[in-house]
Amino acid sequence: MLDIFVLIKQVPKVHDPEVDRKTGTIVREGIENIINPDDWYALELGISLKKKYGGNVTVVTMGPAQAESALREAIAMGADDGILICDNIFAYSDTLQTALVLKEVFDKIENYDLIITGTETSDSSTGQVPYQLSEALDIPLITDIFTMEIEDKCFKCQRNFGHESQNIEVDLPILIRVGRHFNEPRLISLLGIKESYYKDVKLFDFNALNCPEYIDGCNKSPTKVVKTEKFVIKRKNEFIEGNVNEKIQRLIEIMQEHRIEKIWTGVKK
Amino acid sequence: MSNTDEYKDIWVFTEIKDHVKVHDCALEILGKGRDLADNLGQKLVAIVLALDAEQYLPTIEEHGVDKIIYLSHIDLKHYHERIFTKLVYDLVLKHKPSIFLLPSTEAGNALAARIAFRCRTGLVSNVLDLELNSSEFGANLLLGNKPAFQGNIRAKILCPDTRPQMCTISGGTFKKKKLKKENIEIEKIDYDFDPSEIKIKIIGAPTRKDKPSATLSDAKFVLGGGHGLAIKENFQKLYKLAKYTDGQVGGTRRPILDGWMPEHLQIGISGETIFSELYLAFGISGAIQHVVGITESKTIIAINKDPTAPIFKVADYCIVADAAEVLEVLLKYYKV
Repeated sequence: MLDIFVLIKQVPKVHDPEVDRKTGTIVREGIENIINPDDWYALELGISLKKKYGGNVTVVTMGPAQAESALREAIAMGADDGILICDNIFAYSDTLQTALVLKEVFDKIENYDLIITGTETSDSSTGQVPYQLSEALDIPLITDIFTMEIEDKCFKCQRNFGHESQNIEVDLPILIRVGRHFNEPRLISLLGIKESYYKDVKLFDFNALNCPEYIDGCNKSPTKVVKTEKFVIKRKNEFIEGNVNEKIQRLIEIMQEHRIEKIWTGVKK
Repeated sequence: MSNTDEYKDIWVFTEIKDHVKVHDCALEILGKGRDLADNLGQKLVAIVLALDAEQYLPTIEEHGVDKIIYLSHIDLKHYHERIFTKLVYDLVLKHKPSIFLLPSTEAGNALAARIAFRCRTGLVSNVLDLELNSSEFGANLLLGNKPAFQGNIRAKILCPDTRPQMCTISGGTFKKKKLKKENIEIEKIDYDFDPSEIKIKIIGAPTRKDKPSATLSDAKFVLGGGHGLAIKENFQKLYKLAKYTDGQVGGTRRPILDGWMPEHLQIGISGETIFSELYLAFGISGAIQHVVGITESKTIIAINKDPTAPIFKVADYCIVADAAEVLEVLLKYYKV
């Protein structure tokens, strides 16, 4: 029986975000919130490990009250219950503050075997939280796994690391970070959606966690975002005119200007 | 950590790649570090942890450093999270650097996040530019310019009250600087690590087979293919042309899903960023997920049938034509 926890984040669904000219922040009004795309792979792993080894999958998120909908969606997919970490004082947490809060949560939970995360979030794109939570809880983080099995409380896997492919063994509890190509997230069933409304979602706020005084997302996060700008790409955009042959002739000239030469391929390089 | 005045000097984690050479990205960061050190009137310090570390010092000395701090030990042959984190954190505690820059690599990203946590300081990952900034937050603070929202947004971030100010930087972002200072200070630190701290048991570690020998991020000439090449046979011509021209093939997500191209050749948000002199985009529509991976390329030429394809907005030269047809003619031209 495994106590599995999957960390997810609710992010704005934006392809082309706009910056508010007055505040310099991303416009979030009228934008739909979704589960961070990478996190579906983490959920899939959690649910499939539960099916194989038995146990319980708890999905965990930190965010405003509306993030409960992300938890319900994950429960509809197959998680058993949820934890919403929500308090005004947690707002604007950077990765350090987030890891410190998550540590308080897992210290409170006490019994955990596996904590699974995605690779990075689509909004802030730092990828730092898995490493920092590994430091905070002093448990190993295993990345880039391609096969795994669990015997008793020993986790055995193969993973890519640097230029090696390592066979490793490690005692639980551990953190696992999964990539986008690791598995194929299952679809949510109608029954799952219906049942998700009856499952338990616990609220953890500042008081419930007995947080130390250094936890304060807005004031104690070491990083400050001083400006956000929309990224604009400036290029020449010169359309090459003429018929196909003339266009290709010009293309070859440009390639030659960039010293793209014919090379002799008869000899192995 | 507080009392920011106690902290000085610019540190660069000078990573050794696959225990054979100094990582190019680290040498590039030293180039930028030199500018920062000159502007601040502080020292540029390279941090080296490796097996037989002495062999790498001459190369590092030629890239503008004032000082090298190194450890040399068999256990430092590969990056190990427990060992490197502990040893580097000990160094930070002892020497108190003001700025600590690391390559955005598997090891660099991991080490940076862990050290930042232990120091309770901020980390700006994958910056595209660094500058010294004076504002209401303080004078001469390191300002990192970081992509967010899948490359659509640039956020300028600083770390006013805690030290070190930490950033990770991708390969190709800065330029190496060939410069040898006089009287470079070299400090060897004794290896001090308790092996009982290690929790992960490594049973075996063969060299992985899926790693390409040439990587996209190092390539000077990249040929990209997308769905517009229509069939697998056309895509295979891209590999041929790459062979004839000493180029490297990459592409969008689509050819991977179609089974035309392996995963590791994906360019863009979930793949590689390229820093080539020239990028040729064959039949690529130009979705933002791909575009963010090519904008660091010096010259971009796009070939697409559709004159309204978004790829043309980010290209230097735009060729409205059938990509497969153009590829065919180029292949004939470049064939020896």
